[in-house]
Amino acid sequence: MNSRIRTRSRRSKTEQSKVLFPVTPMLDMAFQLLAFFILSFQAPTRESRIDLYLPAEPQAVLQSDSAKATAADTERGTNDLEIDLETELVVHARADDLGDLKTLMLGDVTLDNVDVLSTRLSRYREVVRDKPLRIVLYADDSLRYQAAAQIMGACSRARVETIRLADAQAQGNDR
Amino acid sequence: MPRYSRYRLKSDQTLELNLTPLLDVVLQLITFFMMLVHFGTKLEGATKTARLPIAAAGTPKSDLGLDRLVVVIDARGGIVSGDQSLSDRASEAWWNERAEKRRRGAELIGAASRDLPTRVIVRADRDAPYGEVRRRLAEARRAGFAKFTLVVLRSRK
Repeated sequence: MNSRIRTRSRRSKTEQSKVLFPVTPMLDMAFQLLAFFILSFQAPTRESRIDLYLPAEPQAVLQSDSAKATAADTERGTNDLEIDLETELVVHARADDLGDLKTLMLGDVTLDNVDVLSTRLSRYREVVRDKPLRIVLYADDSLRYQAAAQIMGACSRARVETIRLADAQAQGNDR
Repeated sequence: MPRYSRYRLKSDQTLELNLTPLLDVVLQLITFFMMLVHFGTKLEGATKTARLPIAAAGTPKSDLGLDRLVVVIDARGGIVSGDQSLSDRASEAWWNERAEKRRRGAELIGAASRDLPTRVIVRADRDAPYGEVRRRLAEARRAGFAKFTLVVLRSRK
């Protein structure tokens, strides 16, 4: 036992050489990487996008994975839109004199704000499951784009496949 | 005798630079930039002319594609082209001109189709009248463009 301790202590005293880790290449590489990432860095942005598909027919498709499955269905034309009533919802957006959103209606139901529209559409989306959900948006021409974008954003969040940007004034004239 | 000689190293001593904190910081910085390199990059055509609307949009999954056309719509609803704001006939001519160029290019490579494959990136001002924006999109549709991307700012909710 004693002899073992003695040999160990002797070794620690005699071995003066240290294990050297060459840091220089690692630092070189690290600085190269750092320079690359700093030069290619772009500040984070809040920009997002709403993708629409607007073919020659008056309908727009919000593009998503589920939308691709129904793209063929929407390309068949507008006849299906008229028949499949339970999955086609009409959104009316009325503007006040300043162009702000005054009234928002989903079908005949008046909604308080766009968040309620988003919630309702999401719930409706769950109910109709795999069926393509279509929205026809009738908005006043004087409505600010801010409000219209919020409505389209709400549709996008609820995974609505098709949105048709209809002319509210033309509808008014028809009536 | 100069004063600094007091600090001169003895012959058996070596000066060792402690690189550990430096390496720590550098690796932290690399990690930071690596995490942000593909996060929240702006779409092309960012301009201060159009103040984007704030909206809660779903996560887009589709690829933007190679052929893109950035359109800036100002607060009056006109297309910004240089210093001009184009609307009605001028904007329709603007769309037709761009569509014609692309159609000719598609014909050259034998890929002509009814709808152009170009993705139109619309940067419309939040104060623009919706009716004008809708008209600009309708003009684009008539010219043959079908794929659109509306650029918005994510709401904080």
